[in-house]
Amino acid sequence: MIELRHITKEYASKEGTTLALDDVSLTVNDGEIFGIIGLSGAGKSTLVRCINLLERPTHGKVCIDGEELTAIGKKRLHVIRRNVGMIFQSFNLLEQRTAEGNIRFPLEIAGVRRRAAEARAKELLELVGLTEKAKSYPSQLSGGQKQRIAIARALALNPKYLLCDEATSALDPATTDSILQLLRRINRELGVTIVVITHEMRVVERVCDRVAVLDSSKIVEEGAVSDVFSFPQSEIAKQLIIPELIRSAEGGGGKKLRLVFHGETADSPIISKLAIECGVAVDILYADTKRIDGKTFGHMVISLPQDGEEEKVRRFLEQHQVSFKEEV
Amino acid sequence: MSRLFIQLGAEGFLLGVLETLYMTVVSTAAAYVIGLPVGVLLRITDKDGLRPMPWLNRIVGFLVNILRSIPFIILIVALIPVSRAIVGTSIGNGAMIFMLIVAAAPYVARMVESSLKEVDGGVIEAARSMGAGTFTIIWKVYLPEARPSLIVGAVISTVTVLGYSAMAGTIAGGGLGAIAVTQARPSNAEDVIWLCVALIVIIVQVIQELGMLLARKTDRRLRSGGRKKKSSDGADLKTTETNS
Repeated sequence: MIELRHITKEYASKEGTTLALDDVSLTVNDGEIFGIIGLSGAGKSTLVRCINLLERPTHGKVCIDGEELTAIGKKRLHVIRRNVGMIFQSFNLLEQRTAEGNIRFPLEIAGVRRRAAEARAKELLELVGLTEKAKSYPSQLSGGQKQRIAIARALALNPKYLLCDEATSALDPATTDSILQLLRRINRELGVTIVVITHEMRVVERVCDRVAVLDSSKIVEEGAVSDVFSFPQSEIAKQLIIPELIRSAEGGGGKKLRLVFHGETADSPIISKLAIECGVAVDILYADTKRIDGKTFGHMVISLPQDGEEEKVRRFLEQHQVSFKEEV
Repeated sequence: MSRLFIQLGAEGFLLGVLETLYMTVVSTAAAYVIGLPVGVLLRITDKDGLRPMPWLNRIVGFLVNILRSIPFIILIVALIPVSRAIVGTSIGNGAMIFMLIVAAAPYVARMVESSLKEVDGGVIEAARSMGAGTFTIIWKVYLPEARPSLIVGAVISTVTVLGYSAMAGTIAGGGLGAIAVTQARPSNAEDVIWLCVALIVIIVQVIQELGMLLARKTDRRLRSGGRKKKSSDGADLKTTETNS
C-alpha cells in the first residue's frame, strides 16, 4: 500500500516560492491500477516523483507498506526503490546499451550475478514480446518498442509497484493501446500495483480501477473510475472526461438532463420507450458511449419540453434505473 | 638543403617526433588522471547535479578557470620554481611534462564536465529510480553514456597538448617544436622548420582521424544507418525477409 499524507511541495525560485503540490493525500491499494489525471502543470509529475522520493516533499509523509520513506536513510531508500519500478514519457533508456543490457541494468545495480541477470533479461524480453530485439540499441527501436523495453527494465527486480509517468503520451493511439494492454496484463498476471499519471482520459478509462483528479496542485476529486466517469463533480474532471458534454449543455433553452447509462440500460432503447410511453418529445443534445472495465457506459444530454412533463420523465427514468442529473 | 637538415638527418627528425609524442601522450594521460575526476566533481556538484554543493563547485570551478586563463608561455615561467621543487628540475622533457599536466588538467576537467552535461537528465532519473547510488550512476551511466563525447574531448585535448609541447624548447626540452624554434630559427634553416611543420600536421591528422573513428565506432546511437532506424514494429518482418 502506498500512502501519501498531506504532501506539500514548494520550489524556491528568485520570484518567490511556487507551490507544486498543496496538501495532497491519497492511498493506493495493493493490486489496483490507480490513475492520477490532470492537465499539464497540475503537479502530476511532481506527485509521482514524491512516491519514490525522486522529489522530496517539503512537508508530509510518504509510506510504502507502512514504512515511512521520508524518515529513512539513503541506503534503505535505495533498497525500497528496487521494489518500485518506474517508466517515463521519454523512455529514458541507456542509449549506449542494447535492449538486453538495459534490462540487465537494474539487476547489476542490485548486485545480481551476470548469469542470473541474463536469464532474467531473457524472461522479461519474452514477457514484453521483444525477444528478437535483445541485441538492438534503443536508436534502432520504435517508440512502442522502447517503452516495452523500459517496462521490462522496470520489472527486472520483481517490484511490487510500478509508477508510470505519462508513459503513453509520446505514442500514437494504436501503440498506446498495446502498451496499456501490457500494463493491464502485468497488473492481472503478476499482481503488480500500478500508478498511472496521465492527461488523457482514454488511458484512465482503459486501465484504471480508481482515479484521482489533480488540479492546480490539489486533488479535487477521487473515486472509482466508473463513478468519477459517470458523475464528475469538479469542473476540471468534467472538462477532461467529456469536453463535448460541457459545450452541448451550454447552448439552448429549457431544462436539461444528463443521463448516464451503464450495464443493461446502455443496451436498451430507453429514449424511444420514453417517447412512446410518456408521449414527450425530447431533444438529444449530446450522446456518447464508452467501454470501461468491460462495461458499457453512456452519456446523453437531453433537453426537456418546458410544459410540466418533467415529472413524468423523471419517474420514467427512475423506473428504468437510468441515473440522471439536472444540468443548468 | 641546409647544414642543419643534413646534420639532423632522419634520426634527428625521428627523435623529434618521438619526443613530441612522448611528451604529448604522457602528459595528456596524466592530465586525465587528474582532470577526469575533477570534471566529474564539477558535474555532480553543480546545482542540477546529483549532489549539489554550490560552494565546492564554485571553488573548484574558480581554480580551474584561473589555471585555464594563464597563457601557457607565462605558466611555464611561473612554474619553474614549482617544477624544481616537485620534479627536481626545471629544464628538459620531465619538467615540460609537469608543466603540460598543470596546463592540461583544468582544460580536461572542463572538457569532461561538458561531455557529462550532454547526458540526458531523464536517464539519470531512471537510474535513481532503480536505487542506484551516486558512484554507480557515475560509473554505469554518466561515463558510458558520454563515451563518444569523452573520446572526442580526449582528441581535442591531445591536439591542444601537442601544440603546447612545441614550447618545450624554451626550457631546454626536446621534440619537433624545439627543433624548429631553438635550432632551425637562429640558423635560418627554413627547410627544417617546414619539415617540422609538416610532421606536426601529419601527427595531428593521425590523432584526429583515429580518435574520431573510435568515437563513431563506439557510438551506439548512430549504429543503424538513417532509414532503417525508424522501422516500425510491422516493417521489421520485411527487413528480415530481404536479409535471408
